[in-house]
Parts: sequence; C-alpha cells; structure tokens
Amino acid sequence: MKKDYKITCKDVMNHICDTLGEDLNSPTCTTLKSHLDSCESCQKYYKSISHTILVYKKDEWEISSDTHNKLLDFLGLEDCD
Amino acid sequence: MNENEIIAKAQKGDRAALSKLVKMYEQTVYNFAYKICRDKEKAEHTMQETFLSMVKSINQFSGKSKLSTWLYTVVSNHCLMMARSNKKHAYISLDDESALIDPKNITDWDIAPDKFAENKELGGILDEVIKKLAPEYRVVFMLRDIQGFSTEETAEAIGLSVPAVKSRLHRARAFLRNELNSTFGYEKRL
Repeated sequence: MKKDYKITCKDVMNHICDTLGEDLNSPTCTTLKSHLDSCESCQKYYKSISHTILVYKKDEWEISSDTHNKLLDFLGLEDCD
Repeated sequence: MNENEIIAKAQKGDRAALSKLVKMYEQTVYNFAYKICRDKEKAEHTMQETFLSMVKSINQFSGKSKLSTWLYTVVSNHCLMMARSNKKHAYISLDDESALIDPKNITDWDIAPDKFAENKELGGILDEVIKKLAPEYRVVFMLRDIQGFSTEETAEAIGLSVPAVKSRLHRARAFLRNELNSTFGYEKRL
C-alpha cells in the first residue's frame, strides 16, 4: 500500500531555494507548487528569496576615470584612448 | 562595426580594436569583480588581470561562446584563486543545510527593490552581508542569479559538477535571505 507523503513548509522552502528561476511547471513540481499557491508563509519566503536576488542585481559599482586610466596604462594601450 | 568584426581586427594585432574591446567591457568586468571581491583594490587588480588574459589570448578566442561569458569566467576564477591564497578570513560554515531554513523565521519583507539604489545605508548592509558568505558560494550566486548563467554554464565556468552548483546556490540563497531578514523583515513573525 502506498504511504501518503505530507509536504511540509520546509520541503517547499527548500524547493524554492533549489528551483527559483527554473521551470516550476515540471511534473515533479506540481504538488509543491500547489502548496505554494495556498500557503501564505511559503509565499512570503518565495518573495524574500526573490527580493534577495533582486537587491544584489541592483547593487551596481561604477568604474572611475582613474581606474580606467590605470587599466589602459597597465595594458600598454594608453595611446589608443 | 559589430563585436565579431572588432574581435577579428584585434586578433590581427589591431591595438585600437583591443582598446575598443577593453572599453566595451571594462564597466561590466569591474562591476562583476567588485561584486565578488567587495574591495576596490582587489576588483581593480582582478579587472587588470582579466583584460591582460584577454589581450594575451584573444587569438585563441573561437567565438563559440560570448566574449562576456569568457570574461566572467576569468574574473570568477581569479577571485577564487585570490581567496584561496588568503585563508586568514574564517567564514560561517554552511555545512548544516537543514539549519538554513527555519519555517518559524518567516516574515513579510518591507522593501521596494526599485528604489534600492537610492539608499546608501542599505547598500552598506548588502556589502556587510555578502562579505560573510564564503567566496566559493558567492561566485556561484553571482554567476547563476546575478549574471544569469545557467546551472550548466556556471558548473563549466568554475569547474564544479552540476549537483555541487545546485547545492552551493541553494545554501547561498538561503544564507543571504536569512541575513537580510533582520533588515527587511517586519518584526512580527508569522
């Protein structure tokens, strides 16, 4: 007899960490996705992981003109600037 | 002139074309190097070594992958090499994967990512948090989640197996999320 397996929030949260950005519509994801759709706690976890990625995407560092000049000097390409 | 034409000229020894490639990618390479190294001098050094590799090896560039992909790979491996030679810093162990996710520690996040760049204080927090993450996890997170490499591309770039990339990405995401939770999460736990 097949034993019923109860999915916990921790299972779903682990799954979110594993598969974010990948295909959540694959057959193996269906049960977990169904839990995610109806569980407020897991939805909040999903959102916090998504936002973690988003804030680091928006974390931009610009090169200064001094760093640019040092790079061309280092490469011996300063005369091509 | 498109990128392939500039590369072809650079491969024939055209220094102006090489310089053009450097200018096309210096911002991208510096930004990525800084995101991994979290240090201006190390990011500059990594960028210089990356473009030196490009200048030396441009003749061997086949064009099978994008030049940017190749540059990201060089930056990643250079940062990992620097981290391995500096073992003074002890990072938090992420070996206990089960401890990284605690369903009791879930909060709603009060954050507007679109306005994030305007907030310098939050930028400092991001900096402190990611510095706690060991470079071998940081590189996977940056390649896969920030630069949009596939799991397979990430594995190939830094010489890991696909399961190892998945495991490190899982742990890096959960760790960073937990560390940022005290900043962005509402006080009331669910």
